[in-house]
Amino acid sequence: MTALRILRAAPLTTLQDAGRFGYLRHGISASGPMDRAAFQRAEAWLGGAGSTAIEFTTGGLSLRVEGGSIGAACDGGEFTLSLNGEKLEWPARMSLKDGDVIDIAPGPAGNYGYFRTSHEVDVPLLLGSRATNLVSRLGGLQGRGLRAGDLIPVGSRVQRRMSMHPRPAMPAKGPIRVIWGLHADLFSDDVREHFISEPFVISHRIDRMGARLEDRAGVFTAAEILSLVSDAVVPGDIQILGDGTPIVLMRDHQPTGGYPRIATVVDADLDRLAQMRPGSEVSFRPVTLAQAYALLKAGHA
Amino acid sequence: MAQTAESAPLPNPLIIPLGDHGLLVRFAIALSDRANLATVAFARRLREQMPEGVTEIDPNLVSVLLKYDPARIAFDQLAGEVRLLIGSPDGRKGARPKRYRIAVIFGGEEGPDLDEVAAALKLAPSAFIAEHNARPLRVLTTGFAPGFVYCGFHPEHLELPRRSSVRPLVPAGTVLFAAGQTAITATSIPTGWYVIGQTDFRNFDAERDPPTQLREGDEVLFEAAKK
Repeated sequence: MTALRILRAAPLTTLQDAGRFGYLRHGISASGPMDRAAFQRAEAWLGGAGSTAIEFTTGGLSLRVEGGSIGAACDGGEFTLSLNGEKLEWPARMSLKDGDVIDIAPGPAGNYGYFRTSHEVDVPLLLGSRATNLVSRLGGLQGRGLRAGDLIPVGSRVQRRMSMHPRPAMPAKGPIRVIWGLHADLFSDDVREHFISEPFVISHRIDRMGARLEDRAGVFTAAEILSLVSDAVVPGDIQILGDGTPIVLMRDHQPTGGYPRIATVVDADLDRLAQMRPGSEVSFRPVTLAQAYALLKAGHA
Repeated sequence: MAQTAESAPLPNPLIIPLGDHGLLVRFAIALSDRANLATVAFARRLREQMPEGVTEIDPNLVSVLLKYDPARIAFDQLAGEVRLLIGSPDGRKGARPKRYRIAVIFGGEEGPDLDEVAAALKLAPSAFIAEHNARPLRVLTTGFAPGFVYCGFHPEHLELPRRSSVRPLVPAGTVLFAAGQTAITATSIPTGWYVIGQTDFRNFDAERDPPTQLREGDEVLFEAAKK
């Protein structure tokens, strides 16, 4: 049996496949990779990979291959990677054999990275997916984050099915694009205007559920925040908590929310937002649905 | 009696984008019996005639979220189809909802807030339990947490606002009461509702697909369990 032995893992290290879709009405959000494009690039480096990646964070990751040989690739953000103590370029494609140790430490950019292999990660499918949902404690390895000592078996080798040259990550800058949200009309013109003219700062309170923002300009300080009938939430919703704190809801979002949502980050920009480190400035710019669709198309081209 | 979804025309909803993969059909801003009935009825119509390109539907208290694939359908076209569906006659008037009987241990360690709730409503605890169980309730919606269900509505004389403080965690099977509703947890969650009892019924099993049994529009009749 070939397996990955976790030697060191930060608390929010999880197994993630593309996501567990279709269970919102049962109270389960889809989870899946925080940076989907990076998750897909890690597969493309291999020309085809098992459905499930290890998603790691700036807390780093160290693992040892046991029992066999596998192809592996890493992508997402800019981390520092070494194989048996020898530094490799990032992103990376590797041939790993029994006993090889890879070590990942934070680099200059990004919050999330992906380790994928040419073999299927052998944990049970739960409701059609291997994605870990930390809020519902479902999926992945016993519904929890990975920790030192865990042994993750890998099964059959995946057929190569695509070229082994992913499109490199596009360095995207500029405001995060949003569509005005469900409750935008509950905020005054003044608040809405400041929301798109003033920068916010990514706080240290970021995780798979959501990214809290610092509102240094006080955009929402005086806004009256109503408590509403709870309603459906989607990833990217920017919700304003009772104390005026904005929070961008992410992949492990709560299925419903009762706080007002001023806007929703367009799908094409959600990966980029997920990778912004605490302390980074973020500005929002409203776009039309047609523009959002065009951004999606450009990303898939 | 809990009303079944009416066959009358549905009230005119707000149809609004939720990001670039979501369309929300919202029947009211505030929670009401009429808005929830419309939501239940619309969700049923959707299941019978799911528009092309819709990947998932998620009914809530007064709205239904339709998730769609923008490569297959755009918002404007989907909004048009939704309006057609809302305006069309309902072919299944009078369909009987599924009914579930759910046995609850009220009060004591299982329901530490029962006496407070009864006192606030100026009822003896036994009278409160009898009133609480007197009529079937409708499942208003599901999914605040895995398997969580909201049931309503109790008559006005049983209405109480939520507690002012939040309990950090209550276990699966906790029966909650507030805002004219009774809710059942299926996982351990924090709650600001009153804890009035405990049931063996579990509306969530991740090993089964679908993982929950109750659906919006179903009827629930609560019964006092024999201790």
